[in-house]
Amino acid sequence: MQLDGLDGRVAVVTGAASGIGGAITRRLAREGVRLAVVDVHEAGLGALAAALAGASIRAFTADLTEPTEVAGLAAQVAREVGDVDFLVNVAGGPVAPSRADPLPALPARPRPIETIDDLSWGRILATNLTTAFLVCRAFVPGMKARRSGRIVNFASIAARRGSDRVGVHYAAAKGGVIGLTKTLALELGPHGIRVNAIAPGYINTERMEAVAWGRDASGQHQALLDAIPLGRLGRPDDVAAVVALLCSDAGGYVSGATIDVNGGLYFGP
Amino acid sequence: MTERALHPSLADRVAIVTGAAKRDSIGHAVALGLAREGAHVVVADLYEAGFADVTRAIEAAGRRGLAIRTDVADPASVEAMVGRAVATLGRVDVLVNGVGGSWGITPADLLAPPRRGFVGLTTCSLDDWRTILAANLDGVFYCARSVTPHLQASRGGAIVSFASVAARKGLAPGSEGSSGPYAVAKAGIMALTRQLALELGPYGVRVNCVAPGVVLSGRARRLMAALGQERGPEGGRAAVPLGRFATVDEVAALVVALCTDETAYLTGATIDVNGASYSA
Repeated sequence: MQLDGLDGRVAVVTGAASGIGGAITRRLAREGVRLAVVDVHEAGLGALAAALAGASIRAFTADLTEPTEVAGLAAQVAREVGDVDFLVNVAGGPVAPSRADPLPALPARPRPIETIDDLSWGRILATNLTTAFLVCRAFVPGMKARRSGRIVNFASIAARRGSDRVGVHYAAAKGGVIGLTKTLALELGPHGIRVNAIAPGYINTERMEAVAWGRDASGQHQALLDAIPLGRLGRPDDVAAVVALLCSDAGGYVSGATIDVNGGLYFGP
Repeated sequence: MTERALHPSLADRVAIVTGAAKRDSIGHAVALGLAREGAHVVVADLYEAGFADVTRAIEAAGRRGLAIRTDVADPASVEAMVGRAVATLGRVDVLVNGVGGSWGITPADLLAPPRRGFVGLTTCSLDDWRTILAANLDGVFYCARSVTPHLQASRGGAIVSFASVAARKGLAPGSEGSSGPYAVAKAGIMALTRQLALELGPYGVRVNCVAPGVVLSGRARRLMAALGQERGPEGGRAAVPLGRFATVDEVAALVVALCTDETAYLTGATIDVNGASYSA
């Protein structure tokens, strides 16, 4: 539909090099949004920017778990792109990326708690929760100064209803993102800033496809589809459309919400 | 004009919007928003005085408009409305249940002034309970039931209803202009939405609702004028972190989006639209 309030605005999208972040970038670009895209995956960012050659897009490689890199990113975006209207925090995942391995494969098997060591607990919390905190902290002052802004964080169905796949570290981190979102909505509402979270269900990204989640045993994939009232996995574009909606005028009074985008698999509290 | 404006997302679809005849209502803005997205629109309402204006506005957007006097609390009236909609426009793809409220909801009190005082669950009459549940919850059931065969035949149909922040957090005693039965009915709409999402998902029909806080509709403005203060039953502006009430247009835009492919993977959801005053 015709979404008002997007054309000519500036968005920062983290985790943009692949999957949902990539779809959000393409959708916002189509709406005339000027983009600053961020990822630890430099080659992926390059390919994304090349594919959107006609759009206004600048790529920034950064490890968002590092406070100094996040601070540097905010300064660089302010200098080279300008004031940020929309901040979309997609960076994260059930496995932690690094510059050496920027798009690690998803776990093929469930992660029982006793298999999660201290290091991976810390890294998954950092990848999913600390990144959102650091990036919000870095970009909020500019939004406050202009008394407007939209922040969209990424939770997960793993936090909403629990998950038998991704491990307690990921579910706990995404639950933290929901708490961060609600509190920032209260804190930043008086400054005209709306803060919401999206909790995707099973979205068929290239990484999901690669591990064939739910397809590792006969009948499991069909059982998953049968549990989804709309009868299909989500598409990255399905999630991107909701991000565009939340950033548009139609999202003007939505704040503090967690939007479940899961085909009806879980209905929320 | 953008590419999407040239190819509207609801081109040649037919939408029914209940409670859309009053010019300053959320339903009215939804009806016009759906028309802008390409839908022909049926307005189902008791307020016949608004029929000529709303159909003219829909037709000005280049779509067919049809207003039908409907009492959503009367299943025969609803069935007749849907029958006439289908006979005239050939199909139904979208239902938006805009009728609601604690007063001004029956043929007898349609133009009544705001009801003063608070009607609690412990203080309401049986008549209050039945009247408010009928208009707010039974009506949604009747409309959904009557359009179901048509939505099942549609590809990508949608139902959108209005819950309320009142269903999330209740209404404090003293919340003038609303009622305990209203809060209960709106919670019922959330459950109805989830149940319909399960039953209609296999047909590709999506069912969602919005749960707004105070929206500056004509009804809310009339209440505020009568109260002599800027507050709705759900609270004053100071209780909203965003520091303002919702506009009709922004809530309507969200409802229209829930009728389109922008929300193709959402069903059974309750979208809170309350300026951060309550986070579910």
